[in-house]
Amino acid sequence: MWTWPHWLPAIVAAPIVGGVLVPALAMRGRRWAPGWSLLVLSFTLLGALALTLQVARGGPVSYDMGGWARPYGIELRFDEVSAFALAIALVGWLAVLFSFRYAPRAIPWERLPYYYTLLLLNLGGMIGFVVTGDLFNLFVFLEVLSLSAYALVAVSRGKVAGLASMKYLLMGAVSSVVVLLCVGILYSLTGSLNMADVALRLAETSSPLPLALALGGFTAAFMVKAALFPLHTWLPDAHAAAPSPVSAILSGLVVKMGIIGLIRVLQIFHTSGGLDLGYLHLALMWLGAASLIMGAVFAIVQEDLKQMLAYSTVSNVGYIVLGLGLASSTAVSGALVHVLNHAVIKSCLFLAAGALILGTGQRTLTGLQGVGRTMPVTCVALSIGILAIIGVPPTGGFPGKWTMAVGAVEAGRPGFAVVLVLGALLLVIYYARIVNAFYFRPPAHPEVEGARDGVPSILVPVLTLAALSLLAGILGRVPLEFVEPAAMRLVGP
Amino acid sequence: MTVQVLGANMDYAAIVVLFCIGLYVVVAKSNLIKKLIGLNIMETAVFAFIVTAGMVEGGDAPILGPDAHAPFASPISHALVLTGIVVAVSTTALALAIILRIHREYGTLEVDELRQMDG
Repeated sequence: MWTWPHWLPAIVAAPIVGGVLVPALAMRGRRWAPGWSLLVLSFTLLGALALTLQVARGGPVSYDMGGWARPYGIELRFDEVSAFALAIALVGWLAVLFSFRYAPRAIPWERLPYYYTLLLLNLGGMIGFVVTGDLFNLFVFLEVLSLSAYALVAVSRGKVAGLASMKYLLMGAVSSVVVLLCVGILYSLTGSLNMADVALRLAETSSPLPLALALGGFTAAFMVKAALFPLHTWLPDAHAAAPSPVSAILSGLVVKMGIIGLIRVLQIFHTSGGLDLGYLHLALMWLGAASLIMGAVFAIVQEDLKQMLAYSTVSNVGYIVLGLGLASSTAVSGALVHVLNHAVIKSCLFLAAGALILGTGQRTLTGLQGVGRTMPVTCVALSIGILAIIGVPPTGGFPGKWTMAVGAVEAGRPGFAVVLVLGALLLVIYYARIVNAFYFRPPAHPEVEGARDGVPSILVPVLTLAALSLLAGILGRVPLEFVEPAAMRLVGP
Repeated sequence: MTVQVLGANMDYAAIVVLFCIGLYVVVAKSNLIKKLIGLNIMETAVFAFIVTAGMVEGGDAPILGPDAHAPFASPISHALVLTGIVVAVSTTALALAIILRIHREYGTLEVDELRQMDG
């Protein structure tokens, strides 16, 4: 079973086909929608696990769609970076489980099946995005995941959701158009769309100007998708307005697609070697550092719990981009590992925040005062998540951030190692605010007094992710060794 | 020299102008519908660019048959643009749906007025 050759197309097709079938199944009875989604995602999770094991054993797996040989046919390629599909399937599975109880509260009853459709389309689009080896496919999957993400933001009740979604859509759509333009430029330069083939053929072109235009366009567009400061303006409203399981997916996974897109592009240009990437790396370093600090500063001054978590995503994306910009193999490994670990930690935080909002009806720090006593289990999970996001050893944020700091020193830029530590210190302030409100203040609202930890379908996802946030730190070496070949492809000789 | 280069690449120059007009409309106009139109102009410019890039001087439609003779225009760029148009239409449809909802909830589509109400 583990070596079934068609796992690769299956994990892309399953969520998309399964998602489209949800409304049809819901005609028979609305209860079917969540269960079916869980079933589809279980299958996807199994496939992603099988493929990750294959990569760990024997390197990247490649699949020619329809039996047409690359570079003419479309190639799917599962490498170390694609192993993020495992996180996508896992977080998606837990978010669907969490939605059992949460979604009926946040979304009108008659629209519920479409919510699951959008969720599955979004997850399928993301899996397609990380496994494709074809530039145009990259764009198509980018649009599948982006369009479903805009709609998922708009799905909840309330005035803010529509506006937040529109803001997200406008910035996202412009960046998608720029991605398509850059794909067009690379296609007209090389006559190929297969990433590996494009990289080979680019080495022969001698026109640096359009190449630089394509590289710059890709970088800017994926920076919007990744919400890097100063292009992050769409993120806080969108992530705070969405229902909590969606926020977990948006913040943990969708934002990472910008990063993975950037990694794919860097890989093409690094392999082709026609362009000096030094300036780009320098720009990425400074933008990452700015994003890291500004995100943390904005997070500290927020009053709304979900807005706070949204801004901390901006900060963590800054970490990852800084790590990529440092361009030493150690720092890049750290960045790649942090892509995965942050996905687990941030979805843990958003789901825990969702559980608190569901239990108390409050979403501001003042409103949630004293909740540590009435909902102890959820608050412990949230605290573990926050320790992990700061990067306290031995939690999941530590291996990535530490490796990046070591990489910064190795790259001869110890100043950025200081920035990395400074960012973590800023996050400690925001942690202190949350702990103070939750544990050391008396309950301010009667709803908080009467709140209790949720039912298993709420607690299981939150606790699983909290446990994984811890485990990712304790077993920190395993993913670091796993991504090393990918890091070497990005910066190696 | 610049004039000659521009003259030889008239199509590309037009596309760049079109793209910039679209971007300007998206950024500078405050009405959401106008922003959406600007987005569509940008998309059209990109589609035109990809189709143009696939053109071959004197190229034929790449359909096999008794009358087929080289050179052929690249069929891939047409396939790409067809897919791109489908994506653009879906984006526009979703955006219009969200704009309808915003209009129902706020009673206006001007971004500056929306910002005030939101604030």
